[in-house]
Amino acid sequence: MNIAGEPFLVLEFADELVYLTPYTTTLLLFALAFTIFAIISRPERQVDIVFGGDAFYAKKTSLSEMRFRRFMAIACGLASMGAVVTGDIFNFTLFISLVGICNVGIVAAVKIRHVQEAAFQYGIVALSATVPLFGAAALTAATTGTLSMIELGKATTAAVSPVIKALLVLGVMGEGMAPFYAAKAEMFRAPGAPYVIMCSLSSLLIFLRVIEVVLVI
Amino acid sequence: MIQKISRIISNYEVIMPLFAGAVTVLFIIAILSLPLPYHEDQLYTKTINRSSTLNPYDRGGLPFTDVVIKAQYPENSPTAGYVTTYLTPLSWFIANSTLHAGTTIVAHPGGILDEILYNTRGLDTVVEPTILFIAFAIASYLFRKG
Repeated sequence: MNIAGEPFLVLEFADELVYLTPYTTTLLLFALAFTIFAIISRPERQVDIVFGGDAFYAKKTSLSEMRFRRFMAIACGLASMGAVVTGDIFNFTLFISLVGICNVGIVAAVKIRHVQEAAFQYGIVALSATVPLFGAAALTAATTGTLSMIELGKATTAAVSPVIKALLVLGVMGEGMAPFYAAKAEMFRAPGAPYVIMCSLSSLLIFLRVIEVVLVI
Repeated sequence: MIQKISRIISNYEVIMPLFAGAVTVLFIIAILSLPLPYHEDQLYTKTINRSSTLNPYDRGGLPFTDVVIKAQYPENSPTAGYVTTYLTPLSWFIANSTLHAGTTIVAHPGGILDEILYNTRGLDTVVEPTILFIAFAIASYLFRKG
């Protein structure tokens, strides 16, 4: 199957083409909009009310933590943008692993014990997911002789075996797709919410993108 | 049923065993589906020539001349072949006079330049260190503030 839609802009990085079809442009604009939100918005300030009394306590996000999480959220947005527009299998897997490590970074900066333990578990998953992810890219190159998605979409190129596609999908799932992605209910309860949204958004975007990749190759 | 599943996987401690199990099952299926056909007409070929002083970075051709490099879109890399042939006179001297020191850091203080890595697939080389730098940023933040 060919790439979804007619590309109206192709940026050439030598052998790696970045192409903008209506589909990838929509995803790119989503990622761009949410990155801008992450830049301009301020972290939420949670207030917990003690039940049955006047007491409350406010959770405060320190400036250094806020800065670091904002930096990671912006990096995650940029990595998602790269992952949705790239037209090369190996480059796609690299951007996906960048998304994975940025997700871990957004979560790991919170100084709460259970959040950091969860971030560690997701970090291990993201680490081990690189094996099926890059393995799928290497097997694609070995069985077809090319890595460019426009070439792989052509009917003349050898077909990619379903097991390689399954390896690619499992690798992408481990890097940042449900149920392995790094944003869970206990993370949303952690202060500094707008940055955690970037985990879920990048999860959604790379999910939509990997569908196109699997259908094309 | 879905509520039950989501309650189980909302516990982050089962995420890693779950993923490990999925990877194991898929790897077994992948091993059973071997052999996968190897495509003979590869884009980025590399021949290992043990007698070459620039082994394994040798992509053929004489240094200081143009080397024929196969690319997916040759029109996008008009300078293909010139990066591979770039050797400083010192590197060329070391590569000529010794068998194994020609590709070491002595001959190429910045590391040897590879055509495929740095020219035709240059964007990959940019993304790879970015992953490393992000990982260093997380590690240093956790080390200093954690």
